[in-house]
Amino acid sequence: MIQISDALLSLTLLSVLLSLASNRLMALVKIMAFQGIVVSLIPLFLEHNDGMAIGSILFLQVMLLIKGFLIPGFIFMAVQKIKIKREVEPIIGYHASVFAGLIFILISAYIADRLHIALPDEHVLLMITAITTLTSGLFLLMTRRKAITQVIGYLMMENGIYLIGTALAKQTHTQFVVEFGVLLDILVGIMIMGIILHNINSAFDDVDTALLGQLKD
Amino acid sequence: MLEFTCLLPLFTGIIAMFLPVRLGRGILVVTALLHLQLAVLGWLGKVKPALTGYFTVTPEGMLVLLVTSFIFLFISIYAVSYMSETEIASEPIYIGCTLFFLATMSMVALADHLVVLWIAIEATTLMSAPLIFLHRSKSALEATWKYVLICSVGIALALLGCFFIVLSMDRGNVDVPITFSSLRQVAGLLNPIWLKTGFIFLVVGYGTKMGLAPMHTWLPDAHSEAPSPASALLSGALLNCAFLGIYRGHQLMYEAGLGDFSSQILVGFGLLSMLVAAIFMFNQTGYKRMLAYSSIENMGIIAFGVGVGGLATYGAMLHLIHHSLIKSSLFLSSGNILLGYGSKLIDKTGNMARLFPKTFTAFFAGFAGISGFPPFGIFVSEILIIMGAFQQGWTVSVTVFIAALVLIFAGASRLVMRMSFGSYSGEILVDENLARTLPSYALLLTSIVLCVWLPDSLYQTIISAIATIGGGIHG
Repeated sequence: MIQISDALLSLTLLSVLLSLASNRLMALVKIMAFQGIVVSLIPLFLEHNDGMAIGSILFLQVMLLIKGFLIPGFIFMAVQKIKIKREVEPIIGYHASVFAGLIFILISAYIADRLHIALPDEHVLLMITAITTLTSGLFLLMTRRKAITQVIGYLMMENGIYLIGTALAKQTHTQFVVEFGVLLDILVGIMIMGIILHNINSAFDDVDTALLGQLKD
Repeated sequence: MLEFTCLLPLFTGIIAMFLPVRLGRGILVVTALLHLQLAVLGWLGKVKPALTGYFTVTPEGMLVLLVTSFIFLFISIYAVSYMSETEIASEPIYIGCTLFFLATMSMVALADHLVVLWIAIEATTLMSAPLIFLHRSKSALEATWKYVLICSVGIALALLGCFFIVLSMDRGNVDVPITFSSLRQVAGLLNPIWLKTGFIFLVVGYGTKMGLAPMHTWLPDAHSEAPSPASALLSGALLNCAFLGIYRGHQLMYEAGLGDFSSQILVGFGLLSMLVAAIFMFNQTGYKRMLAYSSIENMGIIAFGVGVGGLATYGAMLHLIHHSLIKSSLFLSSGNILLGYGSKLIDKTGNMARLFPKTFTAFFAGFAGISGFPPFGIFVSEILIIMGAFQQGWTVSVTVFIAALVLIFAGASRLVMRMSFGSYSGEILVDENLARTLPSYALLLTSIVLCVWLPDSLYQTIISAIATIGGGIHG
């Protein structure tokens, strides 16, 4: 069982690096859908979760539905409907982004190593993946111009939080708090809705946050 | 059933969405009145929460609830007159969202459960976003986008903070309900490393909402783009609610014997916020942005006071009350100025002393109050914080604190003088009236009254609120 979870973790890392490197918006959305599916499957293959309660299996399915299908589908709709230009428009270039992603992996490995006292062994890899996803999500959010890519970055960050939750949760209380992370998806949904609505109202020529640059000091 | 403080505005908010505008305005004021009565009853201990596992009455929570409810009443009176002067396409949405906003803020003030508090703070973001976007202009859209995005990142990090705090409980093999009150009783058993990590994330997360630098970047935009009654509400009530989240974390840290650690973090963030505000105050072009930076400064002062401990905590609590009163009054006056000159830029205003004497009196008095002049309460609270900091031996920090205060006063007074006595050649769009100046006066007057005469019950509430983090009037 451990091998499957390791494979899923490396797939997550791969999707993180791919998303940092992708220059096409559509590809980015597909990668996010893939990442959502993989991330929500990970808890299923972790060793300590063998005797899963009915409730948490149900919760897993809900997560899979939201992270893997609903939100990416919603973003996909937004991209198509409002005819966003298909390039990602980074502030920091793709090569530099991938390089930053690699550095994040190193830093996460270091942090996870430092936390070692409190972690069961098989979760160290999970912790590294989780912190990398979280920081790369934040990085994506800060270094891409389009509003829609910022939402995607936020989504990735949220995946990271979910993974950290899975890595560390072992009792009902912690599990309980992790499950409330679902509410963050509401925020994501509202942001996407905002993007779609405002373009329909044509208050905006393009959903580019570079245009959202009038207010500054 | 103290939960009615949340349920009542929620219910009337839904109704107001579907009613004609005039009726909706009436509902807004009536709800504000009823809410204030409920809050006072709760504060006096006459009404208790029913769902004890999730909500509780704490002195600091009641303080925030009382302040919120009090300024909400005057802001809603002002809003009725303000809304009839401005053309807003969707006024029912404004009224409904303001009431929902009040409901979520009441929920923050009462929340005891970690997750309920988190949900309530997330809900305040969602309910206040439509208020910022009310004018539907390009810049309003930008401000709203920034607000929602940055606060969402903050709220996500705060969730992580909650998670780590609960984790510290699991690692310490403690099994109690995840409420702040029960966690505080077993604080000594919690795993200190995860508790510290959790607190840091909590401060960063809720600090984003509270406007602590460097996570404050949404605040000037949101406060300047929102219509003035909404800005007053954001600055006077919302920031306190976010502060309450951090305060509860600090209480937990204090009980766990990690008070020094959390104090240092709070003092650090507090001083940084004040310095950032001081720097940006100097070349400010918009008066609402100037007030927004002043809010960042004052949140920094409160964080600093709570971090320093001892006498300064008492000062910080007083500061919270008086900042809410004076700053919301200032934002209400700024609404009159905006209506009168039709511009948010300082350069497009001037000669306020002659053209708008009533607004000028309120704005100038408010400015004197926020800068710490007597007879306004901020004079007392800042003196207490400075004295407390010297007592506790934070000599270097308090020097920076005083320097920042001086810088901010220097920066802001130049702008206020320009607005009040500078030349102005344009025309006046909307004249001031009593309905839009009396609420500002009332708020300022309350600050003066509370400065010279603090009711004993209020004093006791403050004392018992700060006793939980080791603060007290005798150092």
